[in-house]
Amino acid sequence: QDYSNLFQNHQFADFQVEIQMQNNKNSIFDCHKCILSSRSDYFKALFNSQMKESKEGKVLFSNVSPLIMNQILKYIYIGEIEISHENAIELLIESKKLLLDQQIIQTVTSFIKT
Amino acid sequence: MSRKMILRVPKFQEPKRMEKSEAQRLWLLLKDAIVEVQHMNASTLSFEELYRSSYSLVIAKRGDILYTGLEEVNNHHTKNLLDKIAQAVDERFLIELNSQWQQYKLQQIMIHDILMYLDRMYVKEPQLKVFDLGMFKWKQNVLIHSQINDRLVRMLLGLIHMERNGEVIDGALMKSLIQMYVDVSLKEKETYKQEFEERFLLATSHFYKSESNLFITNNSCGAYLKKVEIRLIEEEARIKQYLDESTGPKLIKACEDELIANHMQTMIEMETGCRTMIQNDRFNELKLMYRLFQRVENGLVHLKNEFAGYVRNEGHKIVNQPENLKDPNALITSLIEIRNRFEKTLSQSFANNRDFINSVNTAFESFLNENDKLSESLALFIDKKLRGGFKDSNDQEIDVIMNKVILLFRFLSDKDVFKKFYEHYLAKRLLSGRSFSEDLERTMISKFKQECGNQFTSKMEGMFTDMRLSKDALDGFKNYLQTSVEMGKLPKIDMSVRVLTQGFWPTFPPHSCTLPPLLSQYCDLFTKYYCHAHTGRRIIWQTNIGTAEVTFRLPKKTHVLALSTYQMLIMLLFNDAEKLSLKQMAAGTSISFMDIQRSVKPLYSGKYKVLKRTPAVEKSKELSENDIFELNLNLKCKLHRIKFAATSQTDSEPERQHTRQRVDEDRKIEIDAAIVRIMKSRKALIHNDLIVECTKQLSSRFVPQTSMIKKRIENLIEREYLERFPDDRRRYRYLA
Repeated sequence: QDYSNLFQNHQFADFQVEIQMQNNKNSIFDCHKCILSSRSDYFKALFNSQMKESKEGKVLFSNVSPLIMNQILKYIYIGEIEISHENAIELLIESKKLLLDQQIIQTVTSFIKT
Repeated sequence: MSRKMILRVPKFQEPKRMEKSEAQRLWLLLKDAIVEVQHMNASTLSFEELYRSSYSLVIAKRGDILYTGLEEVNNHHTKNLLDKIAQAVDERFLIELNSQWQQYKLQQIMIHDILMYLDRMYVKEPQLKVFDLGMFKWKQNVLIHSQINDRLVRMLLGLIHMERNGEVIDGALMKSLIQMYVDVSLKEKETYKQEFEERFLLATSHFYKSESNLFITNNSCGAYLKKVEIRLIEEEARIKQYLDESTGPKLIKACEDELIANHMQTMIEMETGCRTMIQNDRFNELKLMYRLFQRVENGLVHLKNEFAGYVRNEGHKIVNQPENLKDPNALITSLIEIRNRFEKTLSQSFANNRDFINSVNTAFESFLNENDKLSESLALFIDKKLRGGFKDSNDQEIDVIMNKVILLFRFLSDKDVFKKFYEHYLAKRLLSGRSFSEDLERTMISKFKQECGNQFTSKMEGMFTDMRLSKDALDGFKNYLQTSVEMGKLPKIDMSVRVLTQGFWPTFPPHSCTLPPLLSQYCDLFTKYYCHAHTGRRIIWQTNIGTAEVTFRLPKKTHVLALSTYQMLIMLLFNDAEKLSLKQMAAGTSISFMDIQRSVKPLYSGKYKVLKRTPAVEKSKELSENDIFELNLNLKCKLHRIKFAATSQTDSEPERQHTRQRVDEDRKIEIDAAIVRIMKSRKALIHNDLIVECTKQLSSRFVPQTSMIKKRIENLIEREYLERFPDDRRRYRYLA
């Protein structure tokens, strides 16, 4: 029903999301273009752009932690997210930047408000 | 208490106030990238980097730098493009414009993608969205620039003109350039409408105005219609191929106006036009005309009126043709023929349009009632068919003819007159045994019943019942005779009697005659028998409509003559006399002189002459009282049985008058009944309203004359059913 399989075993993955780390040990997530683009207008535009990323098949993020990215991707694939007081603000910022759907933005916002 | 601990939400870090220099750096980065995009060098750029830059500017509330900067870059770029495009000559112009436009559009999509965060979070009405801003700049600096717009529209219209004249043009190029006007329109395609569509429609009208005027003067209407159809198909294709679909209805309307609406009158009146087509049953051309006229306002009204007018005219001719007036059969046959013909036109050309059918029916109604002969002619037509005219037709054909009869009948306004004639001829058929088939008689009657209800046919059905009961009565009478005492004394004759219920049958003009004693005795016997079996009934003998068979003994041969009662009486006189004058015949039989004349005529002037006139005179000469006749003993005839027509087939004028009179009598009763019915329910009514109401009630049976209704009102006042109001003489009151 959902894409948890794909999220876990990365079969047929055709795109990499790389997180730049201070120690140069970058985290890499293997992803599927079709799934990313269906949930995020940011990724849709990126794949369409015919710029560097779409040519190389990967994107490099610098200002985000792998934990947050993992949650975001989990939401994109499975529709679930673990919100805690520690990650809430960062989740909100990142989901807004990546232009995810309104549902997650509202959920996180209302979590922060309570 | 512990809650406080958990609620240790990390403090939201207000992004650090961005330094102006940092903002400037980010903008320059983006600007360079945009310029790269505009030079189609996007592949080395990092989407994430650019997106993040724009994102950072927006969340640092520096979107304004980005937005105004973008506006400037677009402005600059489009101005450069203008020069490039404007320099292109001739056909290169369109190609250059198109390729620049296609590239520009792609670039704008890319720029929009990079600045998506700006577009979503920063841009607020009335600012234009990022992509729309790009379109607007193109429109402002390129498309509607004086060096471009007019030149472009003229070239586009020129190409369309060429295509309309049969040349091949580049449809894809047209589509792209025309779509450009739609794309740069911010709302409701206003640029497209103002700059292109309006001029295009004008050019279209102009083109078709001159083409249609020229074509219709040099070609037949049929050719013109075909041309119009092709043109409309072409324009439909044009819409699909390269125009915006919103132009469709307007373009088609413009074409229809020029090609159809403006020439409708001409197409109807021109020599090869609508009239000729109808006259010559050109179904396909008419069908095309119908289809095309249908597209314009009031188009069908013109066509319908023309058709209905033709129908009325043709009908009028048939109804008033002298030959048809003499021959009811020919009249009805030709009416059925034109009905068939027009029905074919209606179904083949006019899609059986309700309005058309109605107006044809109205036309039929008007000419069928033009002369009062039609009721009788129709009755006579059926009479002939039912006397054997159907012999060679199969069931289906018979049904078709009967339905046509019903159809014509439906248009008659004086259905009561028809009914009287029909009953009259039906009675004659039944009594003379000339009806071809009882089944067919009943089928015909059931059709009238369906059309007009029980009341209309109850008398006719009564006649059939009488015929059946008469047969039973006659069988009973024969048994009675065998057991009767008196029978032994009488010579045996074969007598057949029909008992007709008064009221079901038309009343025949009363005639008297003296029957030979033998027959009288038989009649008395039957009366005695019948009145015994059915007490309370009274029998009135109508011998004059009977028939008789008489044995005619000649020296060498014996014949059986089938005669009418009168003819029998006349012939019997010759048992006792050799020569008789007409006067003597009348005296011997008590038949009126006129009936004598009519009865004798077939006996001496027909094919087989049993009487001869002495001295012999010309046949045509009118008979007079003193003409003398004797038996023709030299009769030469191979037949054993010779049949003589009782009278001529159609009724004589007096009989017809008689039928008419009876119709009038019946009408008086119907009108009386209607007036009383109305007044009973309304109690009081003004004269005119009463007349209207009365006419309406009776219209299914006949159209009463106002003068007749007036007379009946007077009559009812005399009989104290109604009275006038003393203060208002125009109002009537019902007297219960």
